[in-house]
Amino acid sequence: MFKSIIRSRGMATQATAQRLKTFKIYRWSPDTPDKKPYMQEYKIDLNQCGPMVLDAIIKIKNEQDATLTFRRSCREGICGSCAMNIGGQNTLACLCKIDQDTSKETKIYPLPHMYIVRDLVPDLTHFYKQYKSIQPYLQTKSKPADGKENLQSEEDRKKLDGLYECILCACCSTSCPSYWWNQQEYLGPAVLMQAYRWLVDSRDEATKSRKEMLQNSMSLYRCHTIMNCARTCPKGLNPGKAIAEIKKQLAFD
Amino acid sequence: MLKVGLRAKPSTAFRPLAVRGFIKTIPQPPGNIVGTVNDAYVPPPPHKLHGSLHWTSERVVAIGLAPFIMTPFVTGTSYPLVDSIMGTLLLYHCYVGFESCIIDYIPLRVYGIWHKAAIGLLGFGTLVAGYGVYIIETTEKEGLVGVMKKLWKA
Repeated sequence: MFKSIIRSRGMATQATAQRLKTFKIYRWSPDTPDKKPYMQEYKIDLNQCGPMVLDAIIKIKNEQDATLTFRRSCREGICGSCAMNIGGQNTLACLCKIDQDTSKETKIYPLPHMYIVRDLVPDLTHFYKQYKSIQPYLQTKSKPADGKENLQSEEDRKKLDGLYECILCACCSTSCPSYWWNQQEYLGPAVLMQAYRWLVDSRDEATKSRKEMLQNSMSLYRCHTIMNCARTCPKGLNPGKAIAEIKKQLAFD
Repeated sequence: MLKVGLRAKPSTAFRPLAVRGFIKTIPQPPGNIVGTVNDAYVPPPPHKLHGSLHWTSERVVAIGLAPFIMTPFVTGTSYPLVDSIMGTLLLYHCYVGFESCIIDYIPLRVYGIWHKAAIGLLGFGTLVAGYGVYIIETTEKEGLVGVMKKLWKA
């Protein structure tokens, strides 16, 4: 019975015509530094491919070009590895559906305005260095009352919703023009949202030093509320709002 | 000069005109990485005048400007005090706006002395404009609003 179902489904897919979709993917290799980056074309039969862009590029890597390089891990939008610029929008390849219109090609670039390690792999070292600088861990001066847990009321916990879900895929930071121009000094939306996550945490007692770190013209105030961050976030978060909240907290500090 | 990877043969074709010779920029560390990859980013030293106070004054002035700009539309004429306060606030508003542009596009980190020159030029320009506002306020009949009215009709 099962065999017959499998056979009939196999027959059905073979019977349908190919739906060839063109993908243009950014290529650059450090092995040939003299060769300028170029766009390479791949054709994928959508009937033989999963629904997401990540499925397509994995298929390309498996079947057509093993040298195509990209990061991927969880394939379900929880690790943030496969962040890239697909069709002009920073997003996670694993959460981005393939445009089913085969007459249009899909262009895939690495995250914009980053140093590129190879193909679709950007160098996020500086991004992580920035994340490290905001000290993303709980800092307390006193030990918890019961000696075990730092307790928090339900209302205080609610303040962290929409902040803790960030997976640091860097989609928002690399979509921010201000981050493009001044990423060496401006922390960028992703890191600032995490800075706010620790500023509003009722259990954290390092608020003063956290605020002082942002008191200069570059780290925080290069945000001009362009709001590309909120528009591009593949997790539907709003880093722009978090930054505005930091500015409010600091305003009369 | 590094001779590996990205820096092996810097192409001149895509560099902006200013970088190609006229203005010497400060070379930036490869990959923006200062120190080792495990060191955290070090923010500029804290300075409230550059941080929160600057931001707050910017917003207060921007919001404060609104009623002063609305007043002459409502009354149809201008009062010397209102007009001169508007002129001063507008001047600060413009100064802060251009200063922000300079910090964004001519950053100290890359342009060094040219950044300071640009800020200095902006300060000089603001002073000249301030003197101009003073002249207008003292000689024009209706101050800045009067000048606007003339331009509107011209």
